[in-house]
Amino acid sequence: MQDTLFKPARISVGKLVAGFVLLLVLLMLFGVTQTYAQSVRAPGNAVNLDDGIEDGPSNALGDDSQSDFWRNFRGGDPNDIKQMISALPEGAVMTTTGEHWRLIRENYIRKYAGWFPLGVIAILALFHLIKGKMRIQAGFSGKTLPRFNINQRVAHWFMASVFIILGITGLIILLGRPLIAPIFGKEVNSVLTSAAMQGHNLFGPLFIVALVWMFFKFVRGNFFQWVDIQWMIKLGGFFGGHVSSSQFNFGEKSWFWMVTLVGILISVTGILLLFPWLVEDLRWLQLSTILHAVGAVLLISVLFGHIYVGTIGMEGSLDSMLKGEVDENWAKEHHDLWYEEVTGKPAHEPAAKEEGTS
Amino acid sequence: MTFLQFVEGPLFYFSAAVFVLAAGWRVIGLIRMGRKPDISPPKGSAGAGFIKGNLRHFVPRGMFARRTWIHFVAGYAFHIGLFVLFFFGAFHIDFIKQYLGISWTPLPRWGFILASEIAFAGLIALWVRRFSDPVMRLISDWDDHIGTWLTFLVMLTGCLALQESHDVLRGIHMLFVDIWLIYFPFSRLMHAFTFFLSRGHTGATYGRKGMNP
Repeated sequence: MQDTLFKPARISVGKLVAGFVLLLVLLMLFGVTQTYAQSVRAPGNAVNLDDGIEDGPSNALGDDSQSDFWRNFRGGDPNDIKQMISALPEGAVMTTTGEHWRLIRENYIRKYAGWFPLGVIAILALFHLIKGKMRIQAGFSGKTLPRFNINQRVAHWFMASVFIILGITGLIILLGRPLIAPIFGKEVNSVLTSAAMQGHNLFGPLFIVALVWMFFKFVRGNFFQWVDIQWMIKLGGFFGGHVSSSQFNFGEKSWFWMVTLVGILISVTGILLLFPWLVEDLRWLQLSTILHAVGAVLLISVLFGHIYVGTIGMEGSLDSMLKGEVDENWAKEHHDLWYEEVTGKPAHEPAAKEEGTS
Repeated sequence: MTFLQFVEGPLFYFSAAVFVLAAGWRVIGLIRMGRKPDISPPKGSAGAGFIKGNLRHFVPRGMFARRTWIHFVAGYAFHIGLFVLFFFGAFHIDFIKQYLGISWTPLPRWGFILASEIAFAGLIALWVRRFSDPVMRLISDWDDHIGTWLTFLVMLTGCLALQESHDVLRGIHMLFVDIWLIYFPFSRLMHAFTFFLSRGHTGATYGRKGMNP
């Protein structure tokens, strides 16, 4: 009777999500190739200033004549000129930070930002080709241990969902002009960037909520211990050998603190960019765009490693975040100290006993 | 006829007609089903039980409050957020006025954005709980996931079109609205209209027996 009431759901959530996302992307690409996509106009919330633009802005020359200043500047004594410049509010005749910011953004961030995630993907693909999937050496035991409760799992996936949306929209905003415009055209880039900007601004505050939620759900167990140094020295056992680990290993702890600290950086700079009137000095906003982009690219790049280890890279890992449980053998092999802590049993048989039995 | 004109014109009329007729058909059908005649002497009021059953299920029982807090908070966040952004968004009020000729005071833009964020947060939390809770995953089927994703895409495409500077973005939003309207009456999304009937039915049955629903 139970079987007929509740049929096990034969559904692949991943395929469903991929299908919907593909549909959305196809619609956007199909839509923007239509001729009417050229009907670009001012944003709906744009304000028409009725302040007599035809007559030019008022008081453009200021209240004081600057003719004496420029006359001295052109032909005056160099020492006088130095004094004059130092007396200016900015301490300079011309501020060049805007140009520096533009050069950093164009020549470094936009130029190399896309290569970092691609580089990580390439390294992971190479690693997978050489080493293959990390199997549970003793095989599945059939017995499981609870690892993450439902609150932790929902907090994790909530963060993941919001971060994926922000990552895609952010990359479109950052790399649309150098990558999308040359291939698909400026119209397509205009549509995608407009959409991405709105999505990014709307989901940005949710990232802060997710960050706080996730921090409090996972901070316990993520403080570094001495055993983590051994893990680091042996490179996590990815290249052979066994390394002991508590509930979270060094890699997981590093990822947690990276998400937390870089997440705070991205949140603060994002708030400044979303509400630019919070600061008077434009340089804070210029710095914010750079830090925001660098932090985001860093997180996106490392995220691929996190996804790899959590899915196809390591057998049995995904269960911890989908079902909340892990196989006992998985726990023994990857988190032996945690296994001993929660079960009270030794993760590995003592050597003496092994010798005795053999 | 452009894509936008099509999705806001013929396709919208068709999907709205399907929505109204099919949803009305189902609700009227449910009401007409009535309930089995009960010849036992009533020990309480079925009418009061109907109302009580509806009201009491707005909050979880005390013993379940702690373990269902995500569901509770996310559920209210999503539904209230969606209600506010749909009925008080300036674009939606303009759209309704265009077809029905009625309008009311919209929320300021910041209010709309805030309501959208609350609704998105709720919907995402509800969906990730659906696949990360073993029991929820077991009792969920295609209909649950498609309904959630269609609703998410309607909201997402609407949010992507917020700048109102490209017709194609508005067109994609309207296309998903049309699909959603057609899918709605034949899916569990119908709970928007039927939840009070099912809660009321349970409440009335219990009420008549003199039990607390």
